[in-house]
Parts: sequence; C-alpha cells; structure tokens
Amino acid sequence: MIIACPFCGPRDLSEFTYCGDADNLAARPDPAATDQAAWNAYVYDRTNPAGEHAEIWQHSGGCRKFLRVVRSTVTHEIESAEMVGPKA
Amino acid sequence: MTSHRRPEGGSAIDRDDTVGFTVDGRQYFGLAGDTLAAALLANGVRVMGRSFKYHRPRGVVAIGVDEPNALFTVTTDGVREPNVRATEIEVFDGLAVESQNRWPSLDNDLMAVNQLGGKALAAGFYYKTFMGPVIGPLKGTRFWMMCEHVIRRAAGLGRPGTARDESRYERINAFCDLLVVGGGLAGLHTALEASEAGKRVIVCELEPRWGGGADGKKESEIRQIVDSLESKPDVTLLNRTTVWGWYDGNTLAATERITDHLRTAPEGAPRHRHWVIRTGHVALATGALERPIVFPGNDRPGVMLADAGHRYAETFGVLPGQHLTVLTNNDSAYQAAAALRHVGANIRAIIDVRPEIGAGAQRLADRAGGALKLGHAVVGTSGAKGLKTISVARYNHQTKSFSGGSEQIETDCLLVSGGWSPVVHLASQAGAQPIWDEALQAFLPPDPDKHWSVHGAAAGDLDFGHDLSPAPAPVFEIRHPGKAFVDFQHDVTADDVRLAHQEGFRSVEHLKRYTTLGMATDQGKTSNIAGLAIMADALKMPIPEVGTTRFRPPYTAASLGAIAAERYGDLFPHRLTPMHDWHTDHGARMYAAGHWERPESYNRTGETVEQAYVCEAKIVRQGVGLVDVSTLGKIDIAGPDAAEFLNRVYTNGFAKLPVNKARYGLMLREDGFAMDDGTTWRLAKNRFLMTTTTANAGKVMSHLELCLDVHWPDLRVHVTSVTDQWAGAAIAGPKSREVLASCVTGTAVDNDALPFMGIVHGTISGVPVMICRLSFSGELAYEVYCGAHHGTHVWEALMTAGKPFAIAPYGLEALGTLRIEKGHVTAAEIDGRTTARDLHLDWMLSSKKPFVGSAMMDREGLTDKSRWTLVGVVSRSGEKLHGGAHVVAGDRDEPGASLGHLTAMAFSPEMNAYVGLALIEDGESRIGQHLYAADPVRSQTHIPIEIVSHHMVDPKGERMHG
Amino acid sequence: MAEPFISTPVITDAAESPLVGHYEQGTFGNLDRGAQVTLTERFPLAICDVFAWTGSETKSANAIKRATKLALTKTRDAVSEDAQAFRHAPGRWTVIAIDPALPETLTTAVGDNATVVDLSHGRTVLRIDGGQSRRVLSKLFPIDFKSDCFPLEKGIATKHHEIFAQIQRVGDDAFDIIVFRSYARAFWHALRRSSEEVGYAVE
Repeated sequence: MIIACPFCGPRDLSEFTYCGDADNLAARPDPAATDQAAWNAYVYDRTNPAGEHAEIWQHSGGCRKFLRVVRSTVTHEIESAEMVGPKA
Repeated sequence: MTSHRRPEGGSAIDRDDTVGFTVDGRQYFGLAGDTLAAALLANGVRVMGRSFKYHRPRGVVAIGVDEPNALFTVTTDGVREPNVRATEIEVFDGLAVESQNRWPSLDNDLMAVNQLGGKALAAGFYYKTFMGPVIGPLKGTRFWMMCEHVIRRAAGLGRPGTARDESRYERINAFCDLLVVGGGLAGLHTALEASEAGKRVIVCELEPRWGGGADGKKESEIRQIVDSLESKPDVTLLNRTTVWGWYDGNTLAATERITDHLRTAPEGAPRHRHWVIRTGHVALATGALERPIVFPGNDRPGVMLADAGHRYAETFGVLPGQHLTVLTNNDSAYQAAAALRHVGANIRAIIDVRPEIGAGAQRLADRAGGALKLGHAVVGTSGAKGLKTISVARYNHQTKSFSGGSEQIETDCLLVSGGWSPVVHLASQAGAQPIWDEALQAFLPPDPDKHWSVHGAAAGDLDFGHDLSPAPAPVFEIRHPGKAFVDFQHDVTADDVRLAHQEGFRSVEHLKRYTTLGMATDQGKTSNIAGLAIMADALKMPIPEVGTTRFRPPYTAASLGAIAAERYGDLFPHRLTPMHDWHTDHGARMYAAGHWERPESYNRTGETVEQAYVCEAKIVRQGVGLVDVSTLGKIDIAGPDAAEFLNRVYTNGFAKLPVNKARYGLMLREDGFAMDDGTTWRLAKNRFLMTTTTANAGKVMSHLELCLDVHWPDLRVHVTSVTDQWAGAAIAGPKSREVLASCVTGTAVDNDALPFMGIVHGTISGVPVMICRLSFSGELAYEVYCGAHHGTHVWEALMTAGKPFAIAPYGLEALGTLRIEKGHVTAAEIDGRTTARDLHLDWMLSSKKPFVGSAMMDREGLTDKSRWTLVGVVSRSGEKLHGGAHVVAGDRDEPGASLGHLTAMAFSPEMNAYVGLALIEDGESRIGQHLYAADPVRSQTHIPIEIVSHHMVDPKGERMHG
Repeated sequence: MAEPFISTPVITDAAESPLVGHYEQGTFGNLDRGAQVTLTERFPLAICDVFAWTGSETKSANAIKRATKLALTKTRDAVSEDAQAFRHAPGRWTVIAIDPALPETLTTAVGDNATVVDLSHGRTVLRIDGGQSRRVLSKLFPIDFKSDCFPLEKGIATKHHEIFAQIQRVGDDAFDIIVFRSYARAFWHALRRSSEEVGYAVE
C-alpha cells in the first residue's frame, strides 16, 4: 500500500503507523468531563464501515506528521490524505 | 542407454559444453543450457518423481512453471531445498539433486503398495479413517495423532533439511511507470512501445531466456527487441525473475534467482533477490498454459503436454520419445506433431476427440504423418515404468459415449493437449474476477482498468497461425473405467472429485479443501480447470456458474530467505549503546531487549549468570556499582506550554516542578490503564527532558506527538527524540556519592547541592555532564548523562574514580534483582492490563486536574477490589521461582484456579531467598498467606511461597534519601 | 527560550565514533569493475534539529541561512562545503555543519522563532558516492532515488527496517545517510553488505 503524504510524497506503507479512526479521534470528549457514556463511546465504539473510512495514520518513518486518510476498506483504494495539526 | 538428443537444434543449449551432475548420487551428463528435465529426458530417464499418496511413478509433463510431477531436492553444501521443479533447475557442473517421496529408490519404490489400497485412499480418507471413537483412549483426533507420523512419511513431497542456510539473500526496491510481467513477444513489444514513449519500464521473465512460448522462428525478432531494450537507460530487464504477488497500491513482489544456476557465485552476489516493485501500470503478458485431458492412466511416464514435447525438441534438441502419439481436443497439437516430425520423430497416430477438423489442422496432420483418428479418444495406457501402449476407442464427445472395441497402439510418448488457459493469477490477486470464455473454454482476465492491462496469450489472444483455430472442443475428461488423475501432484482423481460432490460438497472452495485439489506446490496450474469442469458436470451446472477460486500470492513458491533478507543473523538491526564495546570487552553477556543489546551480567571467570548477578547486586547494596542506562527513551520537550502539556499527559502535577529538579511520572492510556513511567527533568523554565522505559520509547513519543497534533494543536510545545544524544550511566550504592565527589568538577554533589531528585551540571574528565540524583535500585544513586560520543570516556572515568571504592559494573539481571527487592515496576507489570491502583501507584493520580486516562480510570471494573494487584513473593522452600508461574492456593494434586502470576523473579542477596513480584487477585488481603507458584509445563515445579508486600527491602526508602 | 547549555559540543579527544573497530579502509566486494561506490563516515559533525513555531517558518529558514551561509529558503534544501540543511517535516530542518559551535550559533540565530535541539552525538552521517550508489540505496530504502524524483540537495526522512533515518543528496551520485548513533554500526554493516555486489571502497 502507498500513502501520498502531503509533505513527503507517495511513500510505502512500512513508513506509516495506524493510529485509529479519524472521526473518533476528532471527537475526544472534554477532558474535564467525566461523562462515562461519552468517554466510553470515545474509547470503545467504532463504526467499522464496509467502504469509505477516515483514518489517522502517522508518517512515523517520515515527517512524523499525522494524516487523515480516507480509504475504502473494501478496495483498499485511498481517496485522500491530508495533514492534521498546526499548519505550517 | 538411448540418447534422445537430436544431432541438431536446441536454441538454449551449448553443444560444446558438457556438464556433469548427479541424481541420487548417480552421475549424468547434460549440456550447458539444459534444464534438469531436458537433460534427464536426453539421458532416457522417464521416471522423475513418485506421486504423493500412491507412490505411482511419474514422468515430466510440462516444460516450465506448471510442472506437477518432476520434483527434486537440490542439495548444496548439506542444505536441502525440496520440491524444486526439474523444469526450472538449470544444470551445471557439480549440480546434485535427490529424488523425492520414494523408498528405497525412484525406480523401485516399495511404498507403491499404497496404490493397492486404491479405493481406500480416496478423498476424505484421512478424515474418515482417523477420526477415532467418541470415547476411550483413542477418542477424537488422538488416533489420528498416533497414525500421523507414519502417514506423513508415506505420503508427501520432499524433506527439508535442518542445516543452516548460509546463502545470502537480498531485498531491493524499484519504481517504474510500467511493469511488464512476462518476457514473451507480447511482453517485449509492450515494453518496447512504452520505453520509446519515454516511460520507465521493468520487464520480468521467469525463464532464463526471453521469448516465452514463441515459435523458434521468432528468435531474431526477440533478440532485436531485447537488444533495443537493453540499450535504454530507463529499462530494467530481469530474467529468472518471477513476479508472484500483487498487493495494494500497485506494489508487486518478485523473486530474482541469481546464483542457483551457477557452480560458483560471483563475489557479493546474493542467491535470491526479493524485488518490491511499485509501478504506475502493470502489463500482464503472462501467456497461457496448456492443460492436459483427464483419462484413465493419464499419469504414466511418457504422457506429456503437446507443447512441452514440441519445445523440448526446439529448445533443448531433445525428443520426448521415439514413437509419438497425440491426443487433442484442439488444433494447436497438430503444430507440435508436425514440428516434431520435422526434427525426426515418428508420429504413430493423432487422436482427436473431434469428429472433424479444419483445413489447417488437416495439412499439419498430413505433414506429421501417422494415423489420424478423428472422433476417437484414449481410454487406457499400459507400461510398468513408462508408457508402452495406449488403448484408443471411437468416442462421441457430445454424448460422451464410446463405440466399438478398443485398439492398442504402441507408443513411448503421448502428447496431450486439452486447450489453453491464460495465466490470470496476478489479475485475480489484484481482485479482478476472471470471466469464462465459451469459445476458448477458459477463464480470461476481465476488462482491464487504469492500473493494468493484459497482452498476448494472457488476454486469450491465442494465435497458432496456419489457419488454426484456438477453440477446443469442450472435453476435459474422457470418462472410462480406471484411475484418471486430475491433480497429479496431490493424486486427486476424477472419481475423487465426484465423490466429494456425492458427499455434499457443492462449492468449489469446499471441493478444493476436501479433495486438496490444486493445493499442492503447483497450486493446480494443470488441474484447476479440469477439476472445475468435472465438478460442474456433476452439479449439472455450466462452468462459469460453479466459479473459480480466487488466486492468492505467491504464484510460485517464493524463498523465505529473500523475503526476510537482511533482517536476521549478522544483519539483524541491533542498536548499541555508546559503551557497548566496553561491556563486551569486560565479559558482559549481552541480552537483546527489542532492538537494543544490553549487558545481562558481567562474567567473571566460570560464574553462572545467577552467581554473577547476585554478586553484582550485593556490590550495589554494600558499596557502589555502575550500570548503563543509555537505552532509556529520552524526549526533549520545549516550549511555553511544555509544563501544561506534561500536566495533561502525566497523572501527577508538573507545573510546579522547579528548574533543576526531576520528578517521577506516570502516564495512562485514554482507557485508564497504565502506559509507561519514567522521570522528567526540568532543565529550564520551558525545557524538559523526559525519560521513558526502553521498551516504550517509540510508543510514548508517538503518543505525545498525537496529543499535540490531533488533540491539542493550540499548545506551543515541540517534542524531539534525543534517546541517542545522551549516554547514561547510573551509579548506585552507599558509596556512589563519594565516587562522584572524587571525579566531578564544576559542581558540588553533596546533599545540599544535589538533594534527592536534584539536577546539577558539571564535568567529568573534561567532559560536560548532567547528573540527576534518582534511584531505581533503592540505594543512594545518581544518573550521569553526557553526550553519547563521550559515553565511554565518562564511563571509564567513573570506573577509575570508583576503583578505590571497589566499584563494579552491573547488568540488567542485577538491576532486575534490585528493583524487584524494592517493588519498582517495569514493562513486566505495566503490561497493558494493569491500572495505577493495581501497581500501588494511586498516590500519583492527581485529583486537581484532568489528564489522559483520568476520565476512564475510575470505571467500575477498574476499581474492583478483586483485581490483580502487585505483591511480593518469597520462596519458602529455597527453590528457584519461575517468571510466569501461576499463583495457586492448593498443592500439586489439587492446585485450584489460578489467582494470578509471577511477573519477575530473582535471587535476593539482601533477603537470602528467591523472591519475585506477582500480580494476584485481591493481592492486598493475601499478604502473609502461604500459597504456591505453579509452573506445570516448563519447569514442572510447584513451590510453596509466602505473599509479602512488594516493598521487600528498605520500605521507607531511607537509603536513597540518605 | 534559548537554552544553549543543553548542547554538548563534541570534544574530539574524548569522543568515539560508533564505528570504531568496524571502519576498515580499503576496497571490498566484487571488484571486477573496480569499486563502484565509496563509503565514508563523516565524523565528528555538529547536527541540529530546528523546529519552527507555526508562523515563524520563513524567519527560521532565514536564521538557518544566516547561521550556516547556506542558500536555504523555506522550501529549498541546501548543501555547501562545510554545512548542509534540509527540511524533513513542515517547518522542521536537519542542519549539519563541521563547526562544532553550530548548536549555539543556531540557537542565537533563531531566537524565539524555533526550537533548536542538539543531536551532534545522537546521529551518525554516512556518505555513499559513486555510479552505483542508487542501486545500493534501493536495497535499503523504499525510496525512489532517480534523479528527477530525488533532486540535488534534497533531504528526506524515511526508515531503515523499523528505524528512523534521513537521506540528503549531496552530489550527482552522492548521498548522506543520517542514522541514529545506536544504529550506526548495524546500518554500516548492512550498507557494506549491500555494496559488495558492485564493489566498494571505504575511505
């Protein structure tokens, strides 16, 4: 598999580390909140779709930035890869 | 012995270069350029293998990658490589091979009595026979397990060796616009066109020679294209290279065989090279494979694919037999017959299942000579160790009926053609579902997409010329009494397929698994279509509705050595600390901790590891010792929000940590479980140095980066891994301060200048150092950090300064002993299943701020009193404990349920006993209890233990604070 | 936020290369066509990571340019006789120089625009030069080394096995590989092994 890192260019899968569901990671509950249901959903609930899935991958063997990768879990085709975090 | 070599012809061979090779120790001679199969045929050898189950003698059927029968074990310097196709072994002077699956010899195989059992070994035989009774000593699979080793010896293929493979393997990455798979004419033309358009092209051909199955007359055209491609800088031509896997993102895997065909390898050349090719587009020019027809006695040596017979003559100048016959359902075999006649073979008869043939075939039949028997079929064969006669009967392929008696024809080679199957394997791997073509009676690749295209015979473009039609009659089997083999390599007969159907297997996937059809090393290259056709016939369904199985990598066996190239042995990616050579020079036994090599203990003459570490631990408790801690993860944390950031990732507070002070910190995961611990040093207002455990350095770094980029992009914090920048040495023991005082300049190290958890900057032997007073051993101790290039210099200076105090280096084992005595946790206890409370670290859980894990750590299940918690364990019998042993309440006879397990053990010189740490159910309330450490499988010990507090030595910490 | 005391310049008399005892000069491997690549360890060097704060990327690039005299811009990597720099992540550079004072010079030059981390002890720089350098590197990294994909002076971050590494093209056929100090010896042996097929010289 090849992921096109917006900074480094297309790179081999071996350089990347999967970090989880992008929409889920973006929905981290307020750290001060102890709403168990919300935290439980954040930590454990995943949609596991057959088809388009937004994922966070770290380019750990590259720029070390985090990418939001939209990938089909059926065809493994990657639709897009965008950088997350403070923009440079 | 008759020589089957013709005086002329043979495009691959060099008639002036005779080479000697041995089969089972017997000497043979061949010509340079021969494959083993060709050389053996030239020597008149017909039996080249014994079948898997029945040990039937088998001859070579094919000429290439699809060969199911002629398998040998290549032996090189004691290393055995089993199941190599004789059609792919290139002979050279000194080649040594062994035949397989025979006893005592290939010609006289006593195991052939297996075939007397005939019926008994039909499909499912093993399942049915060896599933024992429901009760009793042989119940269930036990009977099978008893019989298995006998059966495994009787049925099987080659035997691998146990000698270490000293061959070198290599991996290489390649990038191109176009990868052409197959170096036949179609592939070469596609490559040429692309290269002329300026594209970067790689062409892979699995054979040694270019041209694939092209007619000998095309030789100069092929040479011309290859020359032209070779002259282009952006073209890579790889022969002896099999593309065997197609993965996501147009990444393809190939194995290049570099030295297998050479007597001596050039300096530095690997045996195999694993290519990982990333390409914009894939052009499949993989050709087509001729398939056999299934008929009784079709596995007798001498029965061969027609095209193979033709090409043995053309490529190697070898005639497959003297008196040839042909069985076909299509026109292509006529070409083979005519060509073989042309080079001197005697064609006895051409048997065609079709009642009539076209003008092109008729013309070739006339040229070939011999009887032309249209509307006939072969219904049997005879000959003990090779074909002598065939039985031929009148046959109506539409009604599948025979008429009249059968006629015997003497022949030593029957050339068979059952039509052609395009090689769709790679396209199928890429996810494309092959489509059945009624005219060609074959599966074709589906319509190409933007990533790939298909060319030549692989696309079903079968051009035999001479007004010949590529369409065969739909005959896959001539059904007549007698054993008719579908899968030669796994000895699956047509009746086995029907039996499977009769027993209820309907899906082709189930059929495959039940009969093992197509599951041998050849992956059914010659048998899949026939098996499918027979299944379809039994199901009374058309072939496309039965479907075909999806092909998976590899197309042919790929050597594991090449895939694992340079990741083992002397090229294992070890990481070494700056003081590595000092350790090994001073007798350290090194221990691999992940990628890192660390000293386990220092071997003074004749000591065991245990004697060494006990001695080292004593020295630390009573005097002073030095240990290399350079492998600890170190992260530079900088920025105005650094303290706030640490407050969020650690469970305890860091905002108020003064400059030049360190603090022990604990991190949790989001789910509330413990993740890692370590100390973090405040070096300046906005600058911290975090340390992590060796094992978790990478994980913690990624966690911090994720928090900063994904969760808190507003925080102004930079994190940088500095693990390798610093060499670290921990000096520990009651005399450690005195040693430092004698060698550190530029700073005082007394209790006022350097209190517990204090940090000072100074120099040792002219080199700047940072010293932090912290303790893992529980003794008065300091960690001395310096630039890694200065590591050995400072280490040696500390050893010299420590000499008057009898300083000694200590390793991981002693470090482990010291920390076990103190009840300090490591990755063995922070194992992903434990919480801060389980480890008695709840004092570190701040209630004044949220932190990663704070919202989840108080969940019901994580505060349950019955959770496994950390305790100390002391052996009551003086026996050595074993890490991983279960803690149980009962004796050996009635141990009862596991209450938990030992996470670590050591001999404690301080307590003069074997001690350990354990995680056990409701640990707190069990302190003082007498239980057992049960290790029933490995050491078979059942040791009485006492549960104690995890703080076994100096529970108040007076030593390290002193 | 300049805190130069975190830097520890390499003191030649006290320093030891990670390749000590493993750096044998001479020619090795298949020398039928001579040594087609040359391998060298560049030691000692000053090596820094410069990490710009968001919004200060241009200022940081200019500061590196001032401190090193390199023809660097926010997006263009650069190599000179005595220094080199490349951007390995957005707003983040690896800067290498012969001058041991680099960490301090850079820290002063970037001021509050970036974080400078001294990695002079933590990284080892190996150079491969010669007509077959791309082939050798292809055995080690899943990176396209073709000239137009990997232009002169460009630097990148990648991995060897599971271990982080950086590469900068410093000449027509010359590349500097920057690996963790702890990994230098293992990588050196892998590099030598990969070069044997084409013959190599160690200088």
